[in-house]
Amino acid sequence: MVALMAWENPSPADAALPTAAHNALAPAGPQAAHIAGLWYLIVGVCGIVFTLVLLAVLYAIWRAPRATETTPAALHDDNPRIRRSVVWAVIVSTALLILLTVASIATDRVLAGLSLTDAIHIDITAHQWWWEARYDDAQPSNRFTTANEIHIPVGKPVILTLKSDDVIHSLWVPNLAGKKDLIPGRTATLTLQADREGDYRGQCAEFCGYQHSYMAFLLRADVPARYQAWLEAQRQPAAQSAAALESRGRQVFLGGNCAMCHAIEGTGAGGRHGPDLTHLASRESIAAGTLANTPENLARWISDPQAIKPGANMPPTDLPPDDLQALVAYLSSLP
Amino acid sequence: MSWLPLIAGCWLSFPGLSFANAFAGEKDGEWPMAANNYASTRYSALSDINTANVHTLKPVVTFSTGVNRGHEAAPLVINNTMYIVTPYPNYLYALDLNKPGAPQKWKFDPQPQSAAQGVACCDFVNRGTAYAEGRVFINTLDNQTIAVDAEDGKEIWRTRMGDIKTGETMTMAPLVVNGKVLVGNSGGEFGVRGWLAALDAKSGKELWRAWSTGPDKDVLIGSNFKPYYASDRGKDLGLTTWPGLSWQNGGGNVWGWISFDPALNLIYYGTGNPGPWNPEQRPGDNKWTAGIFARNPDTGEARWFYQFSPHDLHDYDAINENILIDAPVKGRERKLLIRPERNGYIYVLDRTTGQVLSADPFVRVTTSAGVDLKSGRIRYNPAKEPRVGETIRDICPVSPGAKDWQPSSYSPRTGLIYIPHQNMCQDAQSYNVSYIAGTPYVGSDTRMYAGPGGNLGVMTAWDPLSRKKKWDVREPFPVWSGTLATAGDLVFYGTMEGWFKAVDAQTGKLLWQFKTGSGIVGQPISYRGPDRRQYIAVLSGVGGWAGALVSGELDARDATAAKGFANAVKTLPAHTTRGGMLYVFALP
Amino acid sequence: MCLRCLKYLPGMGRVLAGFAGLCLAIALSGCEREQRAFPQPADAKLMPQTLRQSELQPGQPAQPVGRGEHLPPPDYQAKYENNAYAVSQGRRLYRWFNCNGCHANGGGDIGPPLMDDRWIYGGEPADIYTSILHGRPNGMPSFAGHITEDQLWQIVAYVRSMSGQLRIDTAPSRSDNLQPAEPESRRERQDMRQSAPPKEHS
Repeated sequence: MVALMAWENPSPADAALPTAAHNALAPAGPQAAHIAGLWYLIVGVCGIVFTLVLLAVLYAIWRAPRATETTPAALHDDNPRIRRSVVWAVIVSTALLILLTVASIATDRVLAGLSLTDAIHIDITAHQWWWEARYDDAQPSNRFTTANEIHIPVGKPVILTLKSDDVIHSLWVPNLAGKKDLIPGRTATLTLQADREGDYRGQCAEFCGYQHSYMAFLLRADVPARYQAWLEAQRQPAAQSAAALESRGRQVFLGGNCAMCHAIEGTGAGGRHGPDLTHLASRESIAAGTLANTPENLARWISDPQAIKPGANMPPTDLPPDDLQALVAYLSSLP
Repeated sequence: MSWLPLIAGCWLSFPGLSFANAFAGEKDGEWPMAANNYASTRYSALSDINTANVHTLKPVVTFSTGVNRGHEAAPLVINNTMYIVTPYPNYLYALDLNKPGAPQKWKFDPQPQSAAQGVACCDFVNRGTAYAEGRVFINTLDNQTIAVDAEDGKEIWRTRMGDIKTGETMTMAPLVVNGKVLVGNSGGEFGVRGWLAALDAKSGKELWRAWSTGPDKDVLIGSNFKPYYASDRGKDLGLTTWPGLSWQNGGGNVWGWISFDPALNLIYYGTGNPGPWNPEQRPGDNKWTAGIFARNPDTGEARWFYQFSPHDLHDYDAINENILIDAPVKGRERKLLIRPERNGYIYVLDRTTGQVLSADPFVRVTTSAGVDLKSGRIRYNPAKEPRVGETIRDICPVSPGAKDWQPSSYSPRTGLIYIPHQNMCQDAQSYNVSYIAGTPYVGSDTRMYAGPGGNLGVMTAWDPLSRKKKWDVREPFPVWSGTLATAGDLVFYGTMEGWFKAVDAQTGKLLWQFKTGSGIVGQPISYRGPDRRQYIAVLSGVGGWAGALVSGELDARDATAAKGFANAVKTLPAHTTRGGMLYVFALP
Repeated sequence: MCLRCLKYLPGMGRVLAGFAGLCLAIALSGCEREQRAFPQPADAKLMPQTLRQSELQPGQPAQPVGRGEHLPPPDYQAKYENNAYAVSQGRRLYRWFNCNGCHANGGGDIGPPLMDDRWIYGGEPADIYTSILHGRPNGMPSFAGHITEDQLWQIVAYVRSMSGQLRIDTAPSRSDNLQPAEPESRRERQDMRQSAPPKEHS
């Protein structure tokens, strides 16, 4: 029922992350490559077995029956051919199962043994229905918080520390790593690495409520120089535009209900229950990969989010058109 | 018996320990500041009342303050006048001790904003007044420092130091040093950035303000800043040890006690907890919170700093009293600073350098395993570290600490420190909290209960030099009052049920007690009246964090009421009720 | 299998049919309790800041906005107090907006308790609404302009659940976190009485 209602909504997601890759069969890092290798092995083995079984069944159907309905074949006969077949079948299945088990364990071990030197640490907290990301640094003042968009440098391992704020979620970036659950009250870690530049789509992979399907994020793997520039920009407090429209928008933000849940570093707004908006304008999408980040979409989202993502904790906000325009202008001025 | 020979006597018999009196500044039997002297010994040299005759002590004067919240203040006695400041609405009374019954001489009503009650963390208390050159100084809950003429109660100046709209309040007792009124703010539970400021006692003009977080220029850290430990050295640590700009809401409020050493010309004071309580929202050491500063009182410049609880995990404010004594340590005479700290250790510091000479636990401590004297760093127990969404159990000491603001006293005659404190543990679960200016910024649900033995409070006599407990008295409720040590070898303290007690300073034996109208959370004092007799005075009126259940009429069915304190003192309402009364005692 | 039983035990069949009917009725009545009415733009108006009684506001001073109704909407009971989703949203917002910082989980701290029978400014929905909207002179901040009307009524409904005013099937039950008290759904209903604020706080 719940899911049905979600489907009834006009799908807004098409425009949000059009270029982000979302394909487990196109691994872009060592973790995903190992998982893909394991996948191909399992699919191959299972496919061959499945094909052989099907062929055997077809052969059995095609062969004329040797026994009549009333006198079934004596299966319990001490028939050496039957015994041989059974023994072979057991040996082959056992060997294949052992092969798959060993391959799975080996993959796990290889994943666990991947080098983590100079790893980048990012704390991910899942919320209904968006992602919070906090970038760690040896120097505390270099830490910052962002949401629904993670940038990482190409070729460097990344350790994600996973937590949940409300219910069980699961993080999955198919091109880079396997899934990992985020469970309230527990901390999990997931390691990934991107060897190819590009945009990858991450998605919640454990049903977590009404808007589970619209709980996505963008993971951008960048060359180190661009990543570093992004990092430096994100560490800065919010830009302060002197323009009249933007300052008015800032007042609307701080004096309205926005600041009750959202933070903009450097303004005194320190809400932690909605995404951090310090550098909102630098992001590709809003509402956790649901809408492209354009002023029109921002205005739509602020005034009636429930039409786009029913059940989200963002309330509709009834602002006079001038205030809404100023607010959108202010938020768009936060690169 | 005259008191002078006695003082002289104790000077002679304890030459190494009597330094406290050297800069006492007290005149004949007056009580001129909350701690009686700059060394913060809360020791009275009067000995008319002693172990032999204390059992005949009788109340001689009572005075109702008209307010029934937590009365944490120490009365002052100067020129045969007693000055009392009440909790919000911060009435200031002058009582004329020359007249029988000590009638009211004048009353000053500062008329603070009533909304200030909504941002006062733990009951709207006030911890006392200060006096200098014919003026009484008070802090009001709504962040005003006011100078009042001691003779007629007329206002001389008032300076607004902060804004309640951000959750800022003032509850501490000012201290006057070198003609400057030193005041600090409260608000560590509201994400208020802490500071200590100096106001010109004459004009009320702000001379300097030393912030507890932020860049070095705000913290008044300059070239003379020489902390003992390497972890406190570096540029702008008040910025770099905080994520992003969170230092702006980082707490470190100065709501406790200030001591002063005139010879070194240094003041000593502690900074409160970092905000919010949830430590995961503020990775880093969170300088300069939960530590102690030594500063030059004339310029505010910092001399040294030591952090008792770097990256504080459990609301261990470091604002407790600093008792200054001179004594030999390992054969060498040293200028010491004794600090019974909220994190469960009694620290002995060298007050010229900030070096930690010893740190010994005086209660059961599960949150840490000692202090590394080489690096000065406390060794936290990772198992008790709060993690969002997890309930951590058996956290000892509790958030109000092994000992909170309630000040200890030190008797040079016995060489012991008399520490009123708690014996409590807690379960806690932290959560991410939004900073919304003017609303609480805590992020922890807490449930407190009694520690081993089942008693919530203890009065411990501690020998700081042999680093051992001498004796203790267990109390069913937290000992939330200050203590007073006298030359009559008595220690006075009050209990939350309302008993005012005198015990033998050597043995802890109960010698006298009197049941006052309400629980006692105030600071007892002793003075010589115009009739040359010794008096003991204390305010009775339960409240403060520990007594908020009664003073705020809270509901203990919720174990997290009063940040979890209500759970521990659940039965208190059956033992005491709200009140606000001064009691003065004397021998018949 | 079961159908075959019915054939042989007609009496039992009636009982089972009755039981099934009862289950259906309960299930249907439960639907309303779980109905999720998400706020429409019409519910969104930021509340007015006229008539503030408090000097305190959460965050920065609010933008001026128009006047609003002070009475519960006609469908208040159905939409809020009898709706488990609205009450649970109220519970969430109660923590998000730091109400628990002052009132704890109902036992009170800086502010008065909300789980008992003493209500300084009255405990009816309209009274609680007014207290949150306008604030009160002794420290309750005024949330006008900072939260929407729908959120406000959700919080009102949750606050009333703390003293057992709601049906037990809509009041929140035990949470997964540190348990501060009996869950709201297990609390005894308190008879609310108004008590004047103490004189010293006037």
